Amino acid sequence: LGFFAVVCAGAGQDVGRSCILVSIAGKNVMLDCGMHMGYNDDRRFPDFSYITQNGRLTDFLDCVIISHFHLDHCGALPYFSEMVGYDGPIYMTHPTKAICPILLEDYRKITVDKKGETNFFTSQMIKDCMKKVVAVHLHQTVQVDEELEIKAYYAGHVLGAAMFQIKVGCESVVYTGDYNMTPDRHLGAAWIDKCRPDLLITESTYATTIRDSKRCRERDFLKKVHETVERGGKVLIPVFALGRAQELCILLETFWERMNLKAPIYFSTGLTEKANHYYKLFITWTNQKIRKTFVQRNMFEFKHIKAFDRAFADNPGPMVVFATPGMLHAGQSLQIFRKWAGNEKNMVIMPGYCVQGTVGHKILSGQRKLEMEGRQILEVKMQVEYMSFSAHADAKGIMQLIRQAEPRNVLLVHGEAKKMEFLKQKIEQEFHVSCFMPANGETTTIVTNPCIPVDISLGLLKRETAIGPVPDAKKPKLMHGTLLMKDNSFRLVSSEQALKELGLAEHQLRFTCRVHIQDPRKEHETVLRVYNHLKGILKDYSVQHLPDGSITVESILIQATAHSEDQGTKVLLVSWTYQDEELGSYLTSLLKKGLPQSTP
Amino acid sequence: YRDLHTFELQAPTRLIEWACGNRVCVAGYGQSDGNEILQLIPPPTLLTKETQGLCPERDFKVECGGFSERPVYSLKYVPDTSLLVTSGPPDSSLQVWQVSVEDSDVIKSVSTLATEDGTGESWAKIATISARAPWVLHGSRLDRVQITEVESRKNVYTSASRGSEELSGLAFLDCNTLLLCCATGRLCLADIRQPQSLVEAVSVPSAPCSEQWCMGTRHGAQGLEPSSQPVARLSSRGLLTLTDLRKTSEFLALAKARVPSPGSGAEFLCVSWAPALEGYLAISGFNGTVHVYDTQSWDSSGREAEPVFVHKGHAFGGAGGSGDVPLVTVHTWHLQKPRTLLSAASDGSLHVWDWVQPCGKC
Repeated sequence: LGFFAVVCAGAGQDVGRSCILVSIAGKNVMLDCGMHMGYNDDRRFPDFSYITQNGRLTDFLDCVIISHFHLDHCGALPYFSEMVGYDGPIYMTHPTKAICPILLEDYRKITVDKKGETNFFTSQMIKDCMKKVVAVHLHQTVQVDEELEIKAYYAGHVLGAAMFQIKVGCESVVYTGDYNMTPDRHLGAAWIDKCRPDLLITESTYATTIRDSKRCRERDFLKKVHETVERGGKVLIPVFALGRAQELCILLETFWERMNLKAPIYFSTGLTEKANHYYKLFITWTNQKIRKTFVQRNMFEFKHIKAFDRAFADNPGPMVVFATPGMLHAGQSLQIFRKWAGNEKNMVIMPGYCVQGTVGHKILSGQRKLEMEGRQILEVKMQVEYMSFSAHADAKGIMQLIRQAEPRNVLLVHGEAKKMEFLKQKIEQEFHVSCFMPANGETTTIVTNPCIPVDISLGLLKRETAIGPVPDAKKPKLMHGTLLMKDNSFRLVSSEQALKELGLAEHQLRFTCRVHIQDPRKEHETVLRVYNHLKGILKDYSVQHLPDGSITVESILIQATAHSEDQGTKVLLVSWTYQDEELGSYLTSLLKKGLPQSTP
Repeated sequence: YRDLHTFELQAPTRLIEWACGNRVCVAGYGQSDGNEILQLIPPPTLLTKETQGLCPERDFKVECGGFSERPVYSLKYVPDTSLLVTSGPPDSSLQVWQVSVEDSDVIKSVSTLATEDGTGESWAKIATISARAPWVLHGSRLDRVQITEVESRKNVYTSASRGSEELSGLAFLDCNTLLLCCATGRLCLADIRQPQSLVEAVSVPSAPCSEQWCMGTRHGAQGLEPSSQPVARLSSRGLLTLTDLRKTSEFLALAKARVPSPGSGAEFLCVSWAPALEGYLAISGFNGTVHVYDTQSWDSSGREAEPVFVHKGHAFGGAGGSGDVPLVTVHTWHLQKPRTLLSAASDGSLHVWDWVQPCGKC
C-alpha cells in the first residue's frame, strides 16, 4: 500500500505557481491552484491534463484545497473550476474565502479590461467558483466523505493562510502551503501538533537563505522613507491589497507616532476599507499582541494613515502612499508612478518580488526609460528601492516544522530547479526520514506501512495472555488465532470459535510411519521388547502395553506386524495426530535406531 | 556606522574564511555531532564597492554545505584547488573536503590526514599555500609542525624540535618561509629549506599571570615584500606588540588595548590587519565587541591605545535575553572594501559592518 504525489507546477520557476496533486489510499486531492503571473498565454495556468486525459475532473478529484489567497496559489481556481470544469468541493479557511474573490476580480479586471485578454475567466465565473467553496475553521476536522478528512492549521505568512492535513484511514499527508515560523507585527508563527503524517510537503525556496535581521530591514526602510519625506519628496509603496501592506502600515504608524511626523500617509481606497474590515473580522487570525491591544485600540484603525483620493497625487509637499497593485503592472499604483517618476526627490519602494514583464520588475532591473502605451517614453528619475518583507520559512524554520509534526517522509517543493542535496541530507540525518525533491511534473511514490486495526475476541485474548511470560506493556506479544475478514472488518478469534461461526468441522490429521526392525522373534515378543525399551527411555511419558498387542506412548499408537516377505523383519506402525508431531517424530527416529541387543 | 547588517546563523561559528568568488565560509564548533560547514554567497551589498542601502538582495545564500562529525575550529581553503582543510578536537588530524558547486551543493569529505598524536594533543592550527604544490602547514605544538602535500599526503617538511609549546597560529610568509606563533607569545621564523634552524623574534614582555597570545599577519598589498609587513601579537590581557620581521630583535611598537580584566580566556582571541587600510588592525575575543585601531601613531612605550572604532552590535543582539552576553568568536576584514568587517559571536550572530572614520583623517 502506498500513495504518490505529483507536482505539476509546470514551466517557469520565478515565483513558482503552486499546484500539487496527491493520491492517498485511492483518494485524489489537488493542493492549491495557482496562476503564473509572468506569462500572458496558457503557460500561466497549470497543465490539468496531467490529472486525467479524458475523464471528468469532478469524478477523479475528491476535493481541492487552497492554502491562502496569494494569486500564485489560487489564481487559476476560477479557470480550473469553470473553464476546465470541476464541480466538487473546494476547501479553504474563512478569511481566504472572503478575500480570494476580491483579489481574483481585481486581477481579472486588470488583465481583461486593461490588457484586453480574451481567454480569461469572467466575474460570473469567479462567483460561481466561490459557490463551490466550503470554508473551514482552524483545527476543525472536516469529513469530505466517509473515508477522507481534512484539518487546517495556522500557517502565519498572510491572513488566513493555513497548512492542511489530509487523512484517509491511518494514512495522512500534511501540505504546508507558504508558512512562516517567526511571528511578525500582525501575524503569529505557524504551528502544528505531533500528528506524525506519512508525508510532509513543504515549501523550500527560502531554505538556503540566511536572512538579514528584521530590525535592520525595518530600520533601513524607515530611514529611506524619512529621508525622502524630509526633503519634500513623495514615497510610493506599491502593495497587494492584503498581506505585507498591513505590516508596513503598522510599522509606519508606530514610527510616525514616535518621531512626531506630520507628512500624510495614504492608503489607496476600495481595498483599504475591505482590508481593515477583514482584519477586524478575522482578528482571531492575527498576532497575539494585536489581539491584546485590539481591546484598547484597534491596531488597524490608523491615526496617521488616511484614505487616498486620486486627486491627492497632485498635491504639493511630501507624502507616503500605499497603492495597489503590487508590481506596478496596472491600476492606481502605476498611475501614481507615472506622475511622480520624473522627480528625483521622489522614491518608489517595491516591497515584494516582481514578476518578469511588469513595470516593477523592469525598474528593479535598472531600466530607467520605460515604454508606456501609445509609445510614450517615461523617464524614471525617482529613486527606486526594493525591500522584501515577505515571510517565508528558511532552513531553520523548515527543521522546526519537521520537529513539530514528526513526519515519516518529507517532500520539498521549490520554485527553482536548484540542487537541494545539502538540505535533503540535513533533514535525513537529523530526523532519519526519507526526503524527496521532485522536479516539476515528476511523480513521487511514497511507500507507507499502514496499520490495519483488528478486533480480538476477549476469550482469545485472555487465553493467549495466560500462556507464556507475563505480558510487558513495552514489548509486543505474539498471539495465535484465526483471522476472519467479513465486509470491512477484521477479527481475530480462537480456532474453535472460527470453526463454529463458519460451520465447519475440525479436520484431524493423522500421520503413520513404518519402521523396520530386524527381529526374527514372534510379533508379540517384539512388541514386548519395544515396550520395555520405550518404557526405559521415556520415563516422563505414559507408556502402556494394551491387551490388544499395541503400545501407546501418550496418544501415539505403535503396532507391530510381520513383514510380508521377510519373517526376520518386523514392521512397526507408528501413528500420531498433528498435535503430537514433535513426540511422533522423536519416537520414529528413536525406533529407527533399532532395539538394544540385550533386552529382557 | 555607515552600514550595519545583522544575520543569524543556525549555529555559531568561530571562523570566517574568504574563498574565491567573494564567498565566505563558516562552520559550527559544537561538541555534538552534526556540525555544518557552510559556504555562503554574501548579499550584493557586500560585493559592490559602494554601499547601496536598500538592495534587491540583502541575504546571505548558502551555496553549499557539508557535515562534520567533529567541531570545526579552523578551516582553510587550498588555493588553486577545489579543496579545503579543516581541523578540530579531539586530535590534531586534518580533514580534507571537496567543494564542487556545479555538481552538487554538498561539500564532500575526501580524506583525513592523520598525524601521530602524543597524549594531550590539542587541535592543529593550519595554513595553506599552493606554490610548488598544494600544501598544508599544520601542527598543534611547536615540535609537531609539518607541511603535508594535500593530494598525495606526502610529508614535505617537519620542523626541528625547539620546544613543545602549544601553537596559537602559523602562516606562510612566502613559499619558503614560515611564521609560527606559540601561545606563550614566542614567535619563530623558519625556512623550510633549512629545517634545523629557527629564527626567534623578540619575545613578548613577561607577565605576572599567565597570558595567551595569538598573532595576525597581513596579506599584503601587491608588490610588497611579505616580510616587510609587521606581525601583530595580541595577548589575553590586551597587550599588543608589533614586530618587523627584518628586525626581530626589537619591537616596532607596543600598546595596550582597553579590555575588561580579568579576560574571558584566550579561546577566541583574534587580531587581524586591514588588507586595504595601511596600519589598521582589529582585535576581538574579550567580550561582545570588536575594536579597530590605527597603529601608525603607536610607539614602544606600551601605553594604552585609543580605538578608532568599537563595534558593540553583538552585545546588544540579545535575541535570547538569557543574561549571557555573547562573546565575539572571530572577525575578519573585507578584502576590498576598506572599512568593512565581518564578525561572529557565540550566540550565532553574524554581523557585517562598515564604520565611519571619525573626523580628522580619512
